[in-house]
Amino acid sequence: MRPFTLNYALPTRLQPVVTPYHFDASLQLNVLSDGRPAVSDPELLMAVGTTTSTAGSQTHFDD
Amino acid sequence: MSVLILTSEEDVTADMVVAELHAMGTPFLRLDPADVPDKVVLSAHYAHGDFDGHLSANGQVLSMEGLGAVWMRRPGEPAANAAHPSPWLTAEARQALFGMLFAANARWMNHPRNADRARLKPWQLRVAHLSGFAVPPTVFTTAPRLARQFAEEHREVVVKSASGPPPGDPGLSLPTTLIGPDADFSAVAAGPTLLQRYVPKRADIRLTCVGSRLFAARKTAAPDQVDGRYGDTEHAWEPVPVPERVSKSVDAYVALAGLAYAAFDFAEDEDGIWWFLECNQGGQFGFIELETGLPIAAAVALWLSQRKPLGHRQVEGAWGA
Repeated sequence: MRPFTLNYALPTRLQPVVTPYHFDASLQLNVLSDGRPAVSDPELLMAVGTTTSTAGSQTHFDD
Repeated sequence: MSVLILTSEEDVTADMVVAELHAMGTPFLRLDPADVPDKVVLSAHYAHGDFDGHLSANGQVLSMEGLGAVWMRRPGEPAANAAHPSPWLTAEARQALFGMLFAANARWMNHPRNADRARLKPWQLRVAHLSGFAVPPTVFTTAPRLARQFAEEHREVVVKSASGPPPGDPGLSLPTTLIGPDADFSAVAAGPTLLQRYVPKRADIRLTCVGSRLFAARKTAAPDQVDGRYGDTEHAWEPVPVPERVSKSVDAYVALAGLAYAAFDFAEDEDGIWWFLECNQGGQFGFIELETGLPIAAAVALWLSQRKPLGHRQVEGAWGA
């Protein structure tokens, strides 16, 4: 029998997330293609959605 | 003193704190336990009644002797990224890494022992009661009869997962869902089920606690919205002051839970009461800071950089407090 809670699960349309930044080991943070830290562009971070309350839900349940 | 950040490379919320640490000139090392042993070198020495250890990653070296604070942000499973991963290798890597870190004289945000306990929803509700929060009636049961009785008593209840969506199935989400007493509760026998009295809300509240500092944000809910994480309400998060009663309850909660960081979720009802829903010991704060400008990352960086906790409560909201 399927657990009761899972009766209310919904399929998620997973969009492939292409993050426009990469990790820079020397700075120990993610940088944009022009070398600026990704956090210097808040609008971009909000658009990518990687800081939202459901961003880590698949791997971390305390969001 | 140095700071150790345990998180994944792609964690841009951690970047917000890293940028603050850079600006403050605080030495730090960022690594993911998943990268032990391939990209992270560790060594701990127990000899002649003494202990010392070193961690190395990204060209940086951190001595346990100089370690002031550890931030458990979004760490992966130890050795998960190893060339030849295995449960045994993960267990060995966890022993080596966390055994060494627990032996150091460092402050934790948050200590894994306290974090593990703080994740347990039924325990959260008990501590929330003891701390003086308003807590909706809740049942967590495997008995269909008790679940049905609870729903009949409260009429409108929500069902929610205690641990989140099933791991390993990224195609599923489990939003908190409103149900009535007419639901078929027989499947409650197939797994513990968490039911809570529905709180009709006019807003969601996310209160982030960093040491002794509080940052509260409010987002107006859409009519009949149940789970604030899903659906566009066309409203934005805005800073709000923290009621004194709530501030005292947060104090009590984090003291009982032993947490240096916590993100509380509340439902604000029509009377303005903040109902405790849950406390996420590792909750996201990036989206709150980006939308409201509340300086949460700076507060985290400051806490990590200081050797002793701040001595008194500072409440931060739109109008101070």
